[in-house]
Amino acid sequence: MTDYAQLVAYLGIGVILGFAALVVPWLVSPRYRGRETEQTYECGVDTIGSAWIRFSISFYVFALIFVAFEVDVLYLFPVALVFDEPAFGWRAFVEVFIFLTILSMAILHAWRKGVFRWER
Amino acid sequence: MPKTLAEMLGSPMLAVATGLGGVMGLLSFNALFCIYLERKISAWIQRRMGPMEVGFHGMLQTVADMVKLLGKQLITPKGIDKPLYHLAPLVVFAPVVAGTSLMAFSGSFALHHIDLGLVLVFTFGGFAVLGIFMAGWGSNNKYALLGAMRSVAQNISYEIPLLLSALSVVMLTTSMGRTVTVGDETVAVQGLNLFHITMVQMDRNVWFIVLQPVAAILFFIAVLAETNRAPFDIPEAESELVAGFHTEYSGMRFALFFFGEYSNMLIGCMVATTLFFGGWSGPLLPGPVWFFLKSYALMAVMMWVRWTYPRLRFDQLMRFCWMVMIPLSIVNLLVTAFFLKVF
Repeated sequence: MTDYAQLVAYLGIGVILGFAALVVPWLVSPRYRGRETEQTYECGVDTIGSAWIRFSISFYVFALIFVAFEVDVLYLFPVALVFDEPAFGWRAFVEVFIFLTILSMAILHAWRKGVFRWER
Repeated sequence: MPKTLAEMLGSPMLAVATGLGGVMGLLSFNALFCIYLERKISAWIQRRMGPMEVGFHGMLQTVADMVKLLGKQLITPKGIDKPLYHLAPLVVFAPVVAGTSLMAFSGSFALHHIDLGLVLVFTFGGFAVLGIFMAGWGSNNKYALLGAMRSVAQNISYEIPLLLSALSVVMLTTSMGRTVTVGDETVAVQGLNLFHITMVQMDRNVWFIVLQPVAAILFFIAVLAETNRAPFDIPEAESELVAGFHTEYSGMRFALFFFGEYSNMLIGCMVATTLFFGGWSGPLLPGPVWFFLKSYALMAVMMWVRWTYPRLRFDQLMRFCWMVMIPLSIVNLLVTAFFLKVF
């Protein structure tokens, strides 16, 4: 078994252990069922309607900027690993600089559009 | 090089079993101890006594709470999204076990040897966001949904400064030492390997917090936000959202979320220790002792922060991330890159 297979084993057994932790209360806990036991909690009054309603579009905008950023940051990890390779010299720095500048444009754009002021 | 458990025990199966026992023991102890510590620290800051009744100075209080949670009914509300609701606690819980197994506890042994340690730790950390959102959406509860939405927005935003500040350490590690000498063997440094990051710091006799103070502070703030700790605990702001995403979870299901949360705090602190505080290095005491001393010192700081600062408003929180943290971390990365080329 390679090291990665071991890691997958940890993950898999983690799921099983989490499930096992739920078996104990299933065995020993009381099973009371009243009229209100299964209602979703809403500070004591009867539940009104579903929770799956519309919410602020701003969350969506943040998610979009995040996707753009996160993928680009992941690209930088391999770059960081070879950054000091003598063959690249100053070219490496210039390229990282250009990359990050273009990346920063995303923030500047969102900034000007008022995303961070939470406008809708 | 640290030996892996599989090499020491001779069998990978045995290694996974032993390692899993160790990891679960550590995480369980961590959860029980941290809840106790949290209550004591909050009490001391507010000039109270905290738990005093069960055991010496209330030390068994969390054990009693745990037994109570085990016996509580698992209430499943109606109108939920069943698969999402039932899977969410497991999605928060399982990655924590795998993430802990990647840590560089000591120079002499490793649970397994993986060169991409740092990236994988962040990957497993990312699962928590998924679990929280599954819980919030699956519960069909308004508080839970609001809490989950905020939590996702916050977690993904603070993920960026977290990665960028870690990235400057990776850059520094690969550039400072192409190779390090441990004992009589020479190791080629791989910047994403948590063990190598520690070894370079030991080899050069410097903690990276000295060379990367800005990155260290950004990283610590981002960890606070990633683990939903005050002053960034908006997802479960109890005065407005009841309990946030886990409002509809009772008994052991709630305990799994809590377990995951405290374990994630520990993982965050352990990664910060490795990246900025020299990992297991230290005089006299053995490596793992130093490692956990440093990690728990950071943990105590997290609790101290929680009980000192008021909660931010949500738009302030997001603005702080996008207008202060991310630009600062980008500038920090560029300055690091510049100086690495100068020297």
